[in-house]
Amino acid sequence: MKGAILKVTENVANPIINFLEKGLDKKCFDAVLIPVKVPVGNSFAWVLIQNKSLLEDANPLPPVMPVQGAKALSSITRMGKTNKKIAAIMRPCEVRAAVELSKLEQVNLENIFLISIDCPGVLPLKDYLERPEEAMDKFNEILLGACPERSRRAQNDIEWGNESTRPACQVCDKFVGTDLGFCQSDLHIGILGTKDKNIFLIPNNEKGKSILNKMDIEAEKSMDNWEKKAKELMEVRKKKKKEVQERLKFKVMGIDNLLDVFSNCINCHNCRSACPICYCRQCYFESEKMKLPSDDYLMRAKSKGALRFLPDTLLFHLGRMTHMSLSCVGCGACEDACPMSIDVAQIFSFVADNSQGLFNYIPGKNAEEPLSLRIYKEDEFHEVET
Amino acid sequence: MNEKFVPRIVGFLCNWCSYAGADLAGVSRLQMPPSLRAIRVMCSSRVNPLFIIRVFLIGADGVLVAGCHPGDCHYQKGNYQARRKFAILKNIFESLGLESDRLRLSWISAGEGPRFAKVITEFTEKIKELGPNPAKEKVFL
Amino acid sequence: MSKVLKINKSAEESVQELLKFLLKSGKVKGVFTLRKINDNGAVAYSLVTSLDMLKDAVPLFPLMPANGGKLLSRLTLRGSVAEPVVAVVRPCELRAFIELVKRKQGSLENFLFISSTCSGVYPLEISVNGNIDKKLSQYWDATKRNEIVPDTRPTCKSCEHFLPYTADITIALIGKKDIGNKCEIFLNTEKGQKFVDGIDGEFVEGKLESEEVVSMRNKRKDEKKKLFDEIGIEKFGLKGLIETFGKCIGCHGCSKVCPICYCNLCYSDSQTYEHKPFVYEIELKRRGGLRVPPDTVSYQIGRLTHVGISCVGCGLCADVCPANIPISTIFLKVGDSVQKMFDYLPGRDVEEQIPVTTFKTEEFVEVED
Ligand code: SF4
Ligand code: SF4
Ligand code: SF4
Ligand code: SF4
Ligand code: SF4
Ligand code: FES
Repeated sequence: MKGAILKVTENVANPIINFLEKGLDKKCFDAVLIPVKVPVGNSFAWVLIQNKSLLEDANPLPPVMPVQGAKALSSITRMGKTNKKIAAIMRPCEVRAAVELSKLEQVNLENIFLISIDCPGVLPLKDYLERPEEAMDKFNEILLGACPERSRRAQNDIEWGNESTRPACQVCDKFVGTDLGFCQSDLHIGILGTKDKNIFLIPNNEKGKSILNKMDIEAEKSMDNWEKKAKELMEVRKKKKKEVQERLKFKVMGIDNLLDVFSNCINCHNCRSACPICYCRQCYFESEKMKLPSDDYLMRAKSKGALRFLPDTLLFHLGRMTHMSLSCVGCGACEDACPMSIDVAQIFSFVADNSQGLFNYIPGKNAEEPLSLRIYKEDEFHEVET
Repeated sequence: MNEKFVPRIVGFLCNWCSYAGADLAGVSRLQMPPSLRAIRVMCSSRVNPLFIIRVFLIGADGVLVAGCHPGDCHYQKGNYQARRKFAILKNIFESLGLESDRLRLSWISAGEGPRFAKVITEFTEKIKELGPNPAKEKVFL
Repeated sequence: MSKVLKINKSAEESVQELLKFLLKSGKVKGVFTLRKINDNGAVAYSLVTSLDMLKDAVPLFPLMPANGGKLLSRLTLRGSVAEPVVAVVRPCELRAFIELVKRKQGSLENFLFISSTCSGVYPLEISVNGNIDKKLSQYWDATKRNEIVPDTRPTCKSCEHFLPYTADITIALIGKKDIGNKCEIFLNTEKGQKFVDGIDGEFVEGKLESEEVVSMRNKRKDEKKKLFDEIGIEKFGLKGLIETFGKCIGCHGCSKVCPICYCNLCYSDSQTYEHKPFVYEIELKRRGGLRVPPDTVSYQIGRLTHVGISCVGCGLCADVCPANIPISTIFLKVGDSVQKMFDYLPGRDVEEQIPVTTFKTEEFVEVED
C-alpha cells in the first residue's frame, strides 16, 4: 500500500484543512462537505462549504456524530447529481452508508469525492452535550492515543474505542477507509501510528490518485507501518465485538428478552429518523397502514386482557430490521438519538451481522455489488425449505 | 445607510386584484422602485405562512402579501382567513425577536394602480431603513 | 359546589378501586391507563380489559411516556369506540385530545374521562432504570404540602392548567394533606355521577377550586414568568434562533411525539422540501456555505405556525429531543402569545372553534397597511 505523508502542524486537523483549501484553490473540487462547529460552539453540523474562510471552524474529526454524514450527503444529491464537484470528508461508517444509499438511489456519487479518515470513535451525543468542553478534552486524549508520544497517557498504546466512546464504536472493526475496512472511499486519511507528527494520504483508486496528482502530491511512500497498526487494532476490536455480542445474546434473544429490552420504548421513531439507511420519506410504520379501527384494538386488548398502547412496538423494530438490516453499517446513530437510552444500535448491528453473513455481504464495501435482496441464485438456501 | 442598497421584496399578489393593480401601475408608468419580485397567487389565502418563512430565510429583504379589500375576495372569505394567518405569523415573529417589519399585508384592488405604486414605494423605503436582511448571509439556518 | 365521592383509602388505591368497580360492574368494557408492563418497572399506557391485568395499573404514576391524547386519537381515528371505555389521563393530555377531536382526529363518544389536579411528571430520562420509583415519596410529599414538585419538567412546574377542564371525574390531589389515606373524587358531570352510582363510599359536596388550587396556580404563574424570563425568546432574533437550534439533529422527534402534530407526513418531510442540487448550488453561491440537511430554523418556525395555536404545553417535544433543546418552553411561550390574540385556550371546550378555521370581519386591522 502506498501513500503520501503530510506534516502535522499544530494539530491533526490542520494539515487536512490545508489540504482541502489547496484542493479548492486548484479546483480539484468546488465545495467541501465537512462538520463545522456551530455558532455557539456546543455542537457540530454538516456544512457544504465553498468559501474557504468557513473552513476555519471545520473539524474533519469532531468528537460526536449528531447527523450521520451519509444523510447530509443524501439531502443534497437525492434528487440527482450535483453539478459542482464536492469533496465529502466523512468517517468510514458514513462513507459506507453513503455507498449503500447510492445503491438505494438516495445518494448520487457522481461528482462526489469521498474522503475517509481513520476513526477513533465518537462520544455519545448525550455525554458531549452535557459538558462539551470536557468531552472535547477527553476526545482529544483518545485521538492522541494513536500517537503515543504525544499522549498524556503515553504508556498506553491505543486509546481508540475506549469506554468513553459509544458502544457501537467500541466494537467497530471497520474504522479505516481502505479495503482493510471494507470501505470504498476515493482517498483515505491515515492517522494511526503517525506519532502525531504526520498524517497519511492513501488513494484508494484512480480518482484519488488523480486528485493528489493535480495537487502535486506524490503518493509513493510505503504505508506498511500504518497498515500494521490498523490490522493490530482491528484484531483487538474483532475479539471485543465477539465478546460483547456473546453477552448481548442473553439480553435480547427470545421474545421475553426482546419485550424487556424495548419495554421503555416510547415509539418516537427517533432511531429510524436518525438512521442513514432508513431513507423512506414516509416510514411504513408511521403510515395509514398502521392506523386501525378501534374495534381492532379493543379486540386485541380483550384477547390478552390488556394491550400496550401504542401497540406493535416490536413489530416496528423487527420490521425495521427486515427492511434495512442488510445495509446497517453499525454507525450507532440510532442509539444516539434514542431518548430512552435503549441499546438500539447494538441490537440492530448484532442482527445485521448475522443477516449480512448469510449473503457474505458487507454494506458499503463495493458500490458495484448489488443489494442481496435484488438478486437470487437458483440454487441456495435449501435449508430453509421443507 | 447603504445608498446603493436596492431591497428585494417578494410579493405574493392575488390574481384578481393586486396583481391586476400591479399591472395597472405598470401600464400607467407610475414611478416606483424596482424592488418587487411578484408571485401570482389565486387568493391571498393561498399564501401558506411557510412560503413567507422560507422566502424570509432565503434572504428576501421584505415580503408583501397583497389581496382584495375585505369583502371583495373572489372566494368570499379568503382574505379574512389570510389576515388571521398573517397576524399569527407576525405575532410569532415578534415573540422570537425577528424583524416583523419586513412583512407587510396590504389590500389593493385591480383599479388601484396608484395605491400599488405607493405601497411598493413606502415598503421599499421602510426596508431601506431596516437594511439588508441578515438571513441572506447566514450559513447555519 | 359539586358532588364528591370520598373513599377512605390512599389516592392511588382509590383510583384503582374506582377503575375496578367500573370494569367489574360492566359499566365500562375497557380501561385506558398507565400500567406497569414488566418486572423492571417499565410503565406504559395500556388498554386494559381484564380485572386481573388491572392490578398492575398505576394511573397516577408521574410519567408521560407519550401524550395520552395522541394515543386516544390513534384509538379512535377510524371511528369511536363501540363500547364504553374509561380513560385516565392528565389535564394536558385531555386538552390535547380535545384539540385533536376538533381536528377530526378522534372521537369523544363512549369515553368516560378521569383526570386529576396534576402535580406534573418527571422527565423521561429519569424513568430510564426505574428511577422514578425512588422519587415517588418526594413527589407525593410535595403534592400534599402544595409545593411545586422538584425535578419535574420545566413545563409542568410552570403549568397553570393543572385543573382539568372537561373531565367527568377529577381526583383531587393538589394540596390534599391526607391523600395517603383519603381520597376526594369530584364528579363533575352527570355522566360521571351515573358511572359511579353503586360504588362503596361516602357522597358529599365540595369545591374543586380550593384555596390550595388558587395558591398553586399563582406559584405556577410565577414559575412560568421565571422560566420565560430565563429563556428570553423575544430577544432571540435570527442569531438566537440559529444558536438555539445549532444543536438540532433534524430528527423531527419533536413533531412525532407532539399531539398537535397529527399529520401522517409532515410538510417539512415531504417532497416540497426536497430540492434538486441546483437549488443548493444557488444558495451556496450566495452564502459561501450551507448547513445540510438544510431548513433547520425554517422547520421550527413552520411548526410554530402550525401548532402554536393549539400547543397544550405537554412538554413531550423537549423530553424526546436528543439535543436537549428546550423546545417545549419555546413553544409554550409562543403558543401563549398566539392563543392570547384570540382569547383561545386549547382544549378548554370542544365546541370552541380553532381560530385559524374561522374569522371576524372586523379584527387585526393593525396588521394591514
Ligand atoms: S440501524 Fe442504527 S447502527 Fe444501523 S445503520 Fe441505522 S443508525 Fe446506523
Ligand atoms: S423502517 Fe422500513 S419503511 Fe420505515 S423508514 Fe426504515 S426502511 Fe423505510
Ligand atoms: S428512538 Fe428509542 S424510544 Fe424512540 S422508537 Fe427508537 S428505540 Fe423506541
Ligand atoms: S427533537 Fe430536537 S434535535 Fe430532533 S428535530 Fe426536534 S429540536 Fe431538532
Ligand atoms: S409543541 Fe411540545 S409542548 Fe406543545 S403540544 Fe406539542 S409536544 Fe406538547
Ligand atoms: S381573491 Fe383576492 S384575496 Fe381572495
